Amino acid sequence: MAFQQVQVAGRGRPRLDRVTFQLRAGERVALLGPSGSGKSTLIAVASGLISPKAGAIFWSGDPPARSGRRRRRQQAAIGTLWQDLRLIEELTVQQNLNAARLARWSWPRGLLNLLLPLETEACAAVLQRLDLDRALLDLPVSQLSGGQRQRVAIARLLRQEPLLLLADEPLASLDPRLAQELLRLLLAQAEAPRALLLSLHRPDLLEGFDRVIALRSGQLVFDGAPGDLAAADLAELYDADQVDPLRRG
Amino acid sequence: MRLSAPLLVLLPSLVLFPMAVLLPALLHGGGFDLLGQFLLAALQPSLDPQVLVSLVKGLAVTMGMALLGWATSLLLGVLLGICSARVVWSTIWGVTWPALLIRRLLAVPRSIHELIWGLLLLQVVGLQPAVAVAAIALPYGALVARVVSDLLDALPRAPLEALRAGGAPAGPSLVTALGPALLPGLLSYGGYRLECALRSATLLGVFGLGGLGTELRLTLQSLQFQELWSGLWLLLAVMLLLEAVVGLLRRRWGMPSRLQLSSPGVGRHGRELVLAALLLLPVLVAVGRGLGVEPLHLLHWQPLPPFTDRWSEALALPWLELVGSTLGLTLLAAALAVGLAPLLLLLVAPWPWGRRVLQLIWALGRLLPPPLTALLLLFVLQPGVITAALALGFHNLGILGRLLLESAESTAAAGQAREEALALSGAGARLSLLYGRFSSLARTYLAYGAYRTDVILRETVVVGMVGASGLGSQLQEALSAFAWHQVLALLAAYATLTLLGEDLSDRLRRRLLNR
Repeated sequence: MAFQQVQVAGRGRPRLDRVTFQLRAGERVALLGPSGSGKSTLIAVASGLISPKAGAIFWSGDPPARSGRRRRRQQAAIGTLWQDLRLIEELTVQQNLNAARLARWSWPRGLLNLLLPLETEACAAVLQRLDLDRALLDLPVSQLSGGQRQRVAIARLLRQEPLLLLADEPLASLDPRLAQELLRLLLAQAEAPRALLLSLHRPDLLEGFDRVIALRSGQLVFDGAPGDLAAADLAELYDADQVDPLRRG
Repeated sequence: MRLSAPLLVLLPSLVLFPMAVLLPALLHGGGFDLLGQFLLAALQPSLDPQVLVSLVKGLAVTMGMALLGWATSLLLGVLLGICSARVVWSTIWGVTWPALLIRRLLAVPRSIHELIWGLLLLQVVGLQPAVAVAAIALPYGALVARVVSDLLDALPRAPLEALRAGGAPAGPSLVTALGPALLPGLLSYGGYRLECALRSATLLGVFGLGGLGTELRLTLQSLQFQELWSGLWLLLAVMLLLEAVVGLLRRRWGMPSRLQLSSPGVGRHGRELVLAALLLLPVLVAVGRGLGVEPLHLLHWQPLPPFTDRWSEALALPWLELVGSTLGLTLLAAALAVGLAPLLLLLVAPWPWGRRVLQLIWALGRLLPPPLTALLLLFVLQPGVITAALALGFHNLGILGRLLLESAESTAAAGQAREEALALSGAGARLSLLYGRFSSLARTYLAYGAYRTDVILRETVVVGMVGASGLGSQLQEALSAFAWHQVLALLAAYATLTLLGEDLSDRLRRRLLNR
């Protein structure tokens, strides 16, 4: 995925200001920046949730399709781990996992998934990759614990088989142990050709990432290896005077 | 195999299969030309000034009747609702049985449809403007009373107990602890009842109680379709305007949406609310004078025909068949209305204009009183349970469809985020709506469908009276023949059925919402 001079308007100043970078297959990229720096906006643009006011995004060299099958194919190649997970509480784990296949299924097949368990072995396999018991398949999501829900959400992403994993501050509001575990799981899933772009609010969790992109006031201020990010860079990035505390990224 | 939530929503639409088999046998070739003329006339309504003046006058009468009936019912309903709330009795006198007794007594006026009230009052006091107002106010008042007492009894008791523990007297404690919390739910329901009152006033007109409904029926019977459509378009404009204003106020005053009547909150813009209530008073007085409504005239009864002891004739009625066809009609109409709304929404999901087309069709469904739809259907179908169910189902589809669409387009609902997430993962519009939105809507929608089913049971009398079927057509015959013993027996049967249906739908609703 390539961002070229991407701009998203906001009140007073742009939420993203001429951001340019490229994500390559298999890369694990951390997105850093203080609150209000534009991290969530960048993830929203990458996922297709909002369209930029100016600039362009390219996916394997092509611009995003406006509608139709090509658009759906492009969207299916991008998997997003939402902060609130967005699991469907009323459905079973298996039906939730299969919901990730809806882009590839006809709608009668999608309807059938609500009636009969489909592709049980494939669903059990993704659960196994995340150390979850296949007995969970028949349970409604509403009966899962917090940790199980996180893993099922990642399992659903894997079921989607995307080429790019996006995650918007997935570790926020998690206790340190659960945050470490979730990060480990996400990094483990990002193997070539799959890339990972994950926004973080804690710069102490950069271990395992290949690259760091940092935003401040909607502008890209750092793009390089985690080792190149000096303490002075971080201090400047999180300088309280630069940040409008009422705006979130 | 256990049906998942989104499929439960679609389950009632299976009724389309038996309908598809049975409908062709009911077709008769006679009236397709007429139906075609009726549909074409929609595009060429009459613009004759004389016709328009007469229709506007009729519409003004209908609106006046609706407004007065609604305001009286709110007043009655709030007073009776407070009197039948357990929390009020237990706080003031330490007992709850009087509340339960009043609740039971109110079940009788509630179970009888406003049309029956209208026809009974017409027989007893003769044709006068107050009849339509009273016909709306009596059952609506009892309905509002039930909702008010339910809302009051469901409110959290902790604030009330805290005030009482602090030594506050019972009355002020009740007003302070429960009043503000009751208001949003009451206003939301009250706004909805105003929309219902407009439909009821039109319906009463169809059966001869004056206003636009009478004009609509006369134009249909004389096959003046262009004039009929002028009236329908006028009514549609007023109905949509009223719905928009009520919706606007619901949002502005912080009232809960119709599918979530019991959600907590204390509302907003209290001063505006008081001002609106004060402004309404002179309007009501002016409307009452304009229509010539004299409530005291309701006490002047006409001499009734002698009441003879002919109970054996009433007992000899084909009760099993009458009750069976009434229940069949209710279930068919309910399945059509509850099942078709989500099915149609799914079918048009990929096209944004599809929703706007559905909105128009559903608005026409709400607009057309079911007896008029039944009369139109009789152009091409034979009378009977299925024809009546189609008319009643179409009307209720309009009401349920609008609610479902409002919820499906709400950006505040939990389902919105899930639908968006699925669409962003490449799922098509239909499956995103089905999985993301219908999953979370299913229980509240079906719970509302259960409530609607008991409303439909009450409404079967309306289409029954157009000669279709069930207890309604028998009641019409009994009223026309002044066979009071039959009227009483049929009313008792109706009331019993409605109360049983209400109890069943209550249980189903509680089960759906508490899971």
